[in-house]
Amino acid sequence: MTTAAATAPRLRPFGLPRAETLKLRKRRGLLVTVTLLTIVPQVIAYGVLVILHAANPDHHGPAGGVANLGGAISALILLGSVAAIIVGAAAGADDLNAGVFRELVVTGRSRLALFGARIPGGLLYLLPFVAAAYTLSALVSGLGNGYLQAPSTTLLIESGIWVLANIAFYFVIALGVASVTGSRAYTIGILLAWRTIVSHILTAIGGLGAAREAVPHISFVRLAPAAIVKYVNEGPDIGTSVAAAVAVPILWLVVAIAVGAWRTATRDA
Amino acid sequence: MAEPEYVVETRGLTKSFGSRTVVKAVDLRVPRGVAFGYLGPNGAGKTTLIRMLLGLTRANGGTMSLRGLPVPERRAEALSRVGAIVEEPRFHGHLTGRENLGVVAAARGRDAFERIGPAIERVGLAHRAGDRVKTYSMGMRQRLGIARCLLADPDLLILDEPMNGLDPAGILEFRNLLRALVDEGRTVMLSSHILDEVEKTCDQVAIVDQGEIVAMGSLDELRGVDQPRVLIGVDRESEALRLLADAPGVSSANVDDGVIHVTLADADAIPDLNRRLVEAGIRVRRLEPVQASLEERFLAITSRLEDSE
Repeated sequence: MTTAAATAPRLRPFGLPRAETLKLRKRRGLLVTVTLLTIVPQVIAYGVLVILHAANPDHHGPAGGVANLGGAISALILLGSVAAIIVGAAAGADDLNAGVFRELVVTGRSRLALFGARIPGGLLYLLPFVAAAYTLSALVSGLGNGYLQAPSTTLLIESGIWVLANIAFYFVIALGVASVTGSRAYTIGILLAWRTIVSHILTAIGGLGAAREAVPHISFVRLAPAAIVKYVNEGPDIGTSVAAAVAVPILWLVVAIAVGAWRTATRDA
Repeated sequence: MAEPEYVVETRGLTKSFGSRTVVKAVDLRVPRGVAFGYLGPNGAGKTTLIRMLLGLTRANGGTMSLRGLPVPERRAEALSRVGAIVEEPRFHGHLTGRENLGVVAAARGRDAFERIGPAIERVGLAHRAGDRVKTYSMGMRQRLGIARCLLADPDLLILDEPMNGLDPAGILEFRNLLRALVDEGRTVMLSSHILDEVEKTCDQVAIVDQGEIVAMGSLDELRGVDQPRVLIGVDRESEALRLLADAPGVSSANVDDGVIHVTLADADAIPDLNRRLVEAGIRVRRLEPVQASLEERFLAITSRLEDSE
């Protein structure tokens, strides 16, 4: 055995989800992008608030408190969902774009298993960024509230779960779309247009009536903790039942996973 | 379970794209433990057949088996000991060579991880295994592709045009590696349009043209070694031709461009032909056994000959 081989680090065995995480984790551009869209905005926003408060406490309130937490969460779910779309598109299309999908298919491993592994693998990569960004918000809002009302532990936990669910949702949708289109660029374009423009236009069209409840954002607003609803609602108030608010995102996820799995199983590799 | 005689077997395998049939009822049998060449011009349907065998695209008709197991019915089991490179080996360029093998090992199972180090070592990439694949040369990628195949501890390697893009030294190195794998009892099936490559690497060959197998057998069988030929130059052609045509061991004789072409049933008849001519007073100025080449045979039986006329 050569010296190089003898000293080379051995790979400890891992499963398909970890392989998916590895592929994403090693993309430097993706790492920078996701960091810029999740952790960095929180650091900047709270940094500015802390500095302003320290410089002139009479004019600028503390960085913490429920209101600032609501604002931070609003920014996090918007930018975080963009990050989720980018990561989902990469997880869904990179094997195809690199020509590696066929190399995985010829191992004999089920195509559905290959597709299924992308979901936990991608979430394992994405959610720690979101969790870190949210943890920063939670800490500052709880510890730096000054004379403002501090968020309760229950609110912090509920909001955290809500943020993670919101962003995980967009990841899975992007993964499904990318597995169908086979293109990262198309997927990002389509879903960014949907997330930032089309869904807002649809919810603003009163003539659509109850059909607007099919827009996932409406469901997420309905399910948001009451204390932060006014901060995260990006459009008009559209009443929807809790049952519908739970069913709509699940239906979107089922469709995205089903078409993504179907296309992965049937496409020529 | 007894090992099957043929590691690849297809019957009536057919694939069409729209109205164009690119693989036409192919009956292929690849014996165990040989280097098998699937030889044909570009566009003959070689890659499509390999893609069907590996489950990358669906067949429109016929049956196939790998390692004695029917596919696609028992595809996972069949492919568990098959390594394959289709067209050029592809990798994630942002991952290292070792990480790329890790990704495939994750799909193959725990044992495959144990083989990563030895596989890298075997193909001579130990010094570069920690570098990103996008910095690799074509030859290094081919070798990494073979290392990836070895993760399966393969009974059968299916390689599609494996020497494309390699320099002469790389081709020689690759050929030696393939022969070493065959010497270990593995079967290598490689497709190619390069006759020289197949002739120097393979024991058995199928020639495919326009989606159909037009010849199949050992290299010697396909070269026509069982029907040796000799070129004879003499001063009295007509008389010599009559003598030769009647001689024992001669299958046929004809004159072309001042030279008599004799096809023999038995190569040992050549000295007798010479004696017969000399005894008849005919001066023999040329007596040249023809070294049969796969190229002649290939061109004779594929449509390329028609195209070139």
